[in-house]
Amino acid sequence: MSDDDDSFRSGSGMDEEDDDFMDEDDDEDYGFAGAEEVPKVPYKVLSKEDLDAARRRALREVMSVLEVPEDVAVRVLRKYKWDVSRVQEEWFAKYDQVRESLGVIDEEPTPSGRDQEHCLICFESYPLCEMRAAACKHFFCKECWRGYISNALASGMACLDLRCPSTECKRKACVPSSLVMELASPEEQAKYAAYMIRSYVEDNASMAWCTGKNCENAIECLIDRGPNEPMDVICTCSTTFCFNCKEEAHRPVSCETVKKWIQKNSAESENMNWILANTKPCPKCSRPIEKNQGCMHMTCSQCRFEFCWLCQGDWKEHGERTGGFYACNRFETAKKKGEYDDEARRRDNAKASLERYMHFFERFDAHSKAREKARVDAGKVSKDWLEQLADITKTPTSQLKFINEAWNQIVECRRQLKWTYAYGYYAFDNADRDNDVARQKFFFEFLQGDAERSLERLHEAAEKDLGMHVTRARNQAEPFDVEAFQTFRKNLIGLTDVTAGFFNKLVKQLEKGFGNMEADYAGQVDEDPGPSTSADVVDVSKAGPSTGPAAAAKGRRTKKARGGEEDMEQVRVL
Amino acid sequence: MGDTLAANLLRKQLKELTKHPVDGFSAGLVDDSNVFEWQVTIIGPPETLYEGGFFNARLTFPKDYPNSPPTCRFTSEMWHPNVYDDGKVCISILHNPGDDPNGYETAAERWSPVHTVETIMISIISMLSSPNDESPANVDAAKMWRENRDEFKKRVARIVRKSQEML
Repeated sequence: MSDDDDSFRSGSGMDEEDDDFMDEDDDEDYGFAGAEEVPKVPYKVLSKEDLDAARRRALREVMSVLEVPEDVAVRVLRKYKWDVSRVQEEWFAKYDQVRESLGVIDEEPTPSGRDQEHCLICFESYPLCEMRAAACKHFFCKECWRGYISNALASGMACLDLRCPSTECKRKACVPSSLVMELASPEEQAKYAAYMIRSYVEDNASMAWCTGKNCENAIECLIDRGPNEPMDVICTCSTTFCFNCKEEAHRPVSCETVKKWIQKNSAESENMNWILANTKPCPKCSRPIEKNQGCMHMTCSQCRFEFCWLCQGDWKEHGERTGGFYACNRFETAKKKGEYDDEARRRDNAKASLERYMHFFERFDAHSKAREKARVDAGKVSKDWLEQLADITKTPTSQLKFINEAWNQIVECRRQLKWTYAYGYYAFDNADRDNDVARQKFFFEFLQGDAERSLERLHEAAEKDLGMHVTRARNQAEPFDVEAFQTFRKNLIGLTDVTAGFFNKLVKQLEKGFGNMEADYAGQVDEDPGPSTSADVVDVSKAGPSTGPAAAAKGRRTKKARGGEEDMEQVRVL
Repeated sequence: MGDTLAANLLRKQLKELTKHPVDGFSAGLVDDSNVFEWQVTIIGPPETLYEGGFFNARLTFPKDYPNSPPTCRFTSEMWHPNVYDDGKVCISILHNPGDDPNGYETAAERWSPVHTVETIMISIISMLSSPNDESPANVDAAKMWRENRDEFKKRVARIVRKSQEML
């Protein structure tokens, strides 16, 4: 996107918004997708072949600098997480120590004078030529070695660091990979080789496997990341995920929040809370019973026990002395005495917290599903609809790119939006008690609301308006309304960019945190006109199509001039 | 094939142990037809809290012994930081090295196919004389061992007496 896009957008979408946030937005220049120079890609996608080549490069370097055989290079690289420069540092600084920890020892002399040895595993004796040993010369028969090796290969990556099985071997000599390869079956050899590659990715702090199904690529991080810093990456297989926590991409929310949220969603504990909040156990058989409505006379469907919902006593005892069948006052009196107090309060609290969770989860889930739907729709649009439209409107598909851009924006925004609900759930949970937090929450919800409203409009336009034009185009009875389509085009481009602006702002703020809000906004939050502003936003963009150029002109008057503004019309009009 | 290797090896050890018993424990099969299930009696090592006790345990060998370790479970009552509530013994040599993310590099000795009934029993006897409360299997016992040694001693004396009564 270029700068002229921006000025068009600022005009069509936001000229009526005089509230402080928007001005702030303009000054800081982050309201607009593409307004900033995107930094160099901080990561690289590696195919299976790239991986192998990169691994070999690292091995070769270590082998030549350290002057060690490949076996030792593999072990020392694994030990230092495939960080070549660290390997060199440690190796030369602590030569003996590093070698010892890896079980790298000088070859011992073969015991002489005997041509038979006892295998220390099966206690049989064999001629020496039938036996094998690591550099430590603890001999075992081939069969026992085979068992040892295949057991190690079956139990995971640790097989890359196989040691002499003898308990007498005080230096724990490493088993050379040549011995492993000699005795392993062909399948096991392949497995060993696969572990080598896996180690290069899994033991390596700057590598991660793509989480996509059946994808064999790996991602290499090319920048220095802080510990636990989230980083969204996209593989060539189009899977997006967070490099740090391997969950789906979740910028701007932290990995920690995502982890907590996912745990919370999957945990049965939420069901338990619901049961706790809405049911009572049958006093006889303890099966949880939910009471939706009706009188207090309960009959357990399981054990047929009849009891009173309020006091959970046997219904038979409910008569005149308890205040009548349908006015059990035992609960009330007991409550007054404090006997039931704790339990009831706990139940109330659980209910309130559950309702709060439900609120956030429903929205998280709805946006999540909407995103999936949008992804499918976006695929359909770019595959089927674009060509048809290009045909009918006699426009090159490159000119219809704006439709793809709109859909990509929708998919991405849905993803960001859903995670803001996980954020909101954790970030402001004591807003009731803390005024500062309450104000932060208000501001967060304001930004979130703007973003959400804008996205809904964009999604609707991309879904319904586009659908209408496509239907009209297919239905060739009436001539295609070129003018209406141009208006739609302007509208959609405007909406795409306005939405991007709102989301950029939301993301930036979430990443920055709300802690320094006063300093950031110098008290503007208090003067915030609130809902009325949001209403303005809606109106302006609804009016977008008809007032586009005029609004753009107005926008130009009110905004600082941006480069390339004059070219705007050329870019916009076919 | 692996099956017979394991069975042969165990039978060989049984023969050896019957011919030349080792101090500190006695061993035999639970049922003569099954060489994978051993019954052992550990004599509480002298000069330890467990002195004078006779503790029965079962050793259960997997079919791929000696490549995988057996499990050991006390059938007599036991009170020890490295023994679970159900009697299962938790010591490093009864774990495969592959089970540990640190693999072979850790200080603690892991399972190796060179271990035999004898070396396992020696490890368990040494566990009785020096509990490892770093990673306890029985947290309560470990806590008592650390914080209330007198109570721990009393508790062990009680199981020692009980084990004698069961003779």
